[in-house]
Amino acid sequence: MEALTGWWDEFFWGSVVVVEVFFVALILMVLFGLLGAAAKLSDNKLAQKIASGYTIVFRGTPEILVLLLFYFGSAIALTSIAQIFDPEIKYVDIPPFWAGSFAIALIVGSYATETFRGAFQGVDPGQVEAARALGLSNFKTFIYIKTPAMWRLALPPFGNHMLSLIKDTALISVIGLEETVFIAEQATGTTGEPFTMFFLVGLIYLLFSTIITLSVMVLEKYSNKHLEVSN
Amino acid sequence: MGESVDLIIESIPQILMGLGLTLELLFLSGILGLMLAITVLLMRISGNPLLTWPAMIYIYIFRGTPILIQIFIIYYGLSQFEWIRESILWTLLREPFGCGILALTLNTGAYVSEILRGGVLGVDRGLLEAGSALGLSKRHRFIYITTPIAVRLAIPAYSNDVISLMKSTALVSTITLLDMMGYARIVYAETYAPYEVFTSLMVIYLIITWIIQRAFGLFEKRMSRHIRK
Repeated sequence: MEALTGWWDEFFWGSVVVVEVFFVALILMVLFGLLGAAAKLSDNKLAQKIASGYTIVFRGTPEILVLLLFYFGSAIALTSIAQIFDPEIKYVDIPPFWAGSFAIALIVGSYATETFRGAFQGVDPGQVEAARALGLSNFKTFIYIKTPAMWRLALPPFGNHMLSLIKDTALISVIGLEETVFIAEQATGTTGEPFTMFFLVGLIYLLFSTIITLSVMVLEKYSNKHLEVSN
Repeated sequence: MGESVDLIIESIPQILMGLGLTLELLFLSGILGLMLAITVLLMRISGNPLLTWPAMIYIYIFRGTPILIQIFIIYYGLSQFEWIRESILWTLLREPFGCGILALTLNTGAYVSEILRGGVLGVDRGLLEAGSALGLSKRHRFIYITTPIAVRLAIPAYSNDVISLMKSTALVSTITLLDMMGYARIVYAETYAPYEVFTSLMVIYLIITWIIQRAFGLFEKRMSRHIRK
């Protein structure tokens, strides 16, 4: 434990980075998931094909591979674009924070696509018909009827997607993001106590996972409260 | 464009040198993980708190932390303790391969045991009641009624977990092992051609994923042939 003296601050800021990546990726993940689900449910054949290609590729390849492809690939692309304007430039890259958030959001978004698609399909058609009969527009039906009903169905798997997201943040240390794993590696270098350092990182992630699990339980209870009354 | 094609053609055989290790990790930790999962499942449903609690804590810890950290704790972390370095376990833990297998097994064991528990819980109560009405003992009910049905119910989720195990094997490249990911990173360091190298690897992984899905699809079809009629 004495080995941790002087490192607490570093680990705290590393955890803050994890939380930041998590929220940025969460927003992007929901966006990719909804876009993917919309494409899969649309009548447009091309959109359907693109969306199923997206889910096949990102659900079937290792996360670390997507991350490396995304980070190094974008660096090559950006560098060649930058060299058009200024031949002096040697290397430009997307900061690991953004490349990493984007990559893990794309990966988990491919799982969320299937979740949202299934949940939208699970909405009782009678409710949608009732909304039509009441004269609600398509947009209002979507916002007031379909989305809340879909959300209740999607919540349990969505909780698992959030857990995947928080755990995937650990991978971003591979491309040099200064989050907890990265700091544990540095701390190991100076203190020679790898177990202490990585064990602490494990505890930090366990805490985050627990918070997410508990929040999802509360949300599930909230979104099902109209069903409890009837029981 | 032609240059890219050459690079892809050159890099694929190099990446495939790691295929053996990737498959070895997948099969070994897959089988060991399944055995561990069954043990943990039996502990979890035993009804004895002394067995249930350790099982639940194990599942909670290994599902709640990233696999990368589990790999690092086992590979880098355990060497911190003198008594581990002097124990017999050190022959396994000294090698990155042993650490990789251990981490992947412990990780997949936790997930699979929950999947199997889902299958067991999904077995229709009526069938078990019919079993006891016919005078089957608790043990016989578990072996002849619960197990075959639970296996069938668990196949789709289990096949997804085998795919995530396959994806997790790529992480052993962070502890110096040369699986396909490890070789791809070497080829990338030599060529600086991320698109060609990493996309080729992606295609190889997608083919393996497809084979796993197909195999489990056929298995599921066979297990549920009595329902189709």
